[in-house]
Amino acid sequence: MSMQMALPIAMIPGNSLIHRITPLPKMIWVVGYIVLAFSTTNIVILYSMALFAFLIAVISGVTRPLLKACVILVPIASSLLALQIIAPAVEKPWTSVGHIGALALYGNGVYYGFVLLGRIVASLIMALVVVMTTHPSDLFTTFAKLKIPYTFNFMLAMTLQLIPVFQREVGIIMSAQKSRGMKGRGFSAVLPSFVPVFVGAIERVQQLSISLESRGFGSAGIKTSYRQVKSRPSDWVVAIVGVVAIATLATMSIMRGTWNLSTVILFPHAFVFWLFVVAASVFAAVILVTVFYMFKR
Amino acid sequence: MPEPTTTTAPAIAQLDTSLAIEVTGASYVYPSGHVVALDGVDLRVERGEILGIIGQNGSGKTTLTKLFNGLLKPSAGRVIVNGVDTATKTVQQMAPHIGYVFQNPNHQLFARTVQAELEFGPRNIGVPAEEIAERVRNAVEFFGLQDVVDEHPYRVSFPVRKLVGIASIVTMQPSILIFDEPSTGQDHQTTHIINDLMRRLRDEGTTVVCVSHDMPLLADVVERVIVMKETRIIADASPREVFADQTLMARTNLQAPQSTQIALATVVPLGGPVALTPSELASDLERRLTAHVPSTKITK
Repeated sequence: MSMQMALPIAMIPGNSLIHRITPLPKMIWVVGYIVLAFSTTNIVILYSMALFAFLIAVISGVTRPLLKACVILVPIASSLLALQIIAPAVEKPWTSVGHIGALALYGNGVYYGFVLLGRIVASLIMALVVVMTTHPSDLFTTFAKLKIPYTFNFMLAMTLQLIPVFQREVGIIMSAQKSRGMKGRGFSAVLPSFVPVFVGAIERVQQLSISLESRGFGSAGIKTSYRQVKSRPSDWVVAIVGVVAIATLATMSIMRGTWNLSTVILFPHAFVFWLFVVAASVFAAVILVTVFYMFKR
Repeated sequence: MPEPTTTTAPAIAQLDTSLAIEVTGASYVYPSGHVVALDGVDLRVERGEILGIIGQNGSGKTTLTKLFNGLLKPSAGRVIVNGVDTATKTVQQMAPHIGYVFQNPNHQLFARTVQAELEFGPRNIGVPAEEIAERVRNAVEFFGLQDVVDEHPYRVSFPVRKLVGIASIVTMQPSILIFDEPSTGQDHQTTHIINDLMRRLRDEGTTVVCVSHDMPLLADVVERVIVMKETRIIADASPREVFADQTLMARTNLQAPQSTQIALATVVPLGGPVALTPSELASDLERRLTAHVPSTKITK
């Protein structure tokens, strides 16, 4: 069912080098990536980070699902770049590189557009690779080792486990409503499909909490996990390399005042013009397709 | 609330054939490609029949019924419903022909009132407003929903919600109605209403297909039972013949209604009839006992 494909963010089973690394070093890398991405405006660093994360995805064998998940970047990237060209997020004066009708295009914002996009792309790819190569139970066992309360862990785990359950539920509900002659898409489909999903979700959670309490959830004792996470020397190497590399780059960036290369890397006017044309067209297409499917009856 | 669409229910007379449902060599393999849910099934259902489908979980009962209304399209073979090949139509296009009552009413109820819920289906298939009002009035009366018409469907008790779910399909007046486990979780009174409904629908010429594990319910109302095992139909006969066949029951891990089991263990070896319901069994026992002890009067 197509709904099953809506959220390709589950773990992809495998036995690659990356799959075998324990969750803690991976979490260090994700947090490090986010810290570094937001402490630098150096696009060379940002896109090298994205490329590195993508290489890891290739090594892990999760390229295809990763690319599927990255479709979300299409509207983000196109809108971000198009808007930065017509309304740069930098101080005036802006240099016009051309006009499309009454619309003036400026080159000044392009660099920042790429910086913002680079931050999103790098962090997203790294986070997705980690999610796709880490068994959820291992992740929660690691959280527990980090003294994160078990109840919080459990809540998170249950939430993730409920996603496929709800996907299946949505499928059944859509079938039930289609059988009553409901058109399968558009605004008219929202209410008949989502009221039962939400009511079902609330009921399920209520029943779950009653069932858990009646089976002694929250009574004293340290919780153990069936899956044990044992760190090997290689995990420590990965963690240390991550900390050192990221801390070095972050420090260098901060010492150079975010290491901005906007004065060094200049974009030709024609490039800016065509970048706008492509980005704006893609974004317009995304909006048109979305609106078309919303109102299609 | 969606606006009424311009789609109108196709004239049934125009599509009229002698068969309500005709399944020829239908197979269904789930998209993963690993699970074969149906394997070369042939089935013909006459108009106005009440058909029961029984079998263990996973035998293909629900998959078969989902082929009827186009929720699933056969991987091989053909499914013709009211003269329409389901493979060429969407579920919405099949909706005026064939209604499907899902097992869990929570999966279909969403409106703010029971009244609005009952109006949703007929409005979708383009029934005129006055007729919708008439159908809803009749359904409310038949199902005894007068006190809850203005209630939110989720505020009423589960058995009543089940009735609302069934009524919401009945108001569409399809010529074929499928019930998936109608009596699961229902009290005696609701089951009784469902039984009555099936008989009334049959009397009005509606074809009823009922998938159920509730053997007494089937014994009471259906005229024909098909038994499914491991993706195939392995028996197709009257409930009396099916439930009396102890080898078949054992082979499919099914249990005949208790009245039938008692009859099989007591009166049948003596040449008595196979009882399907407690009243049939009681009548036979009474007849036998009074024949031996004429002065005894048994009160049922």
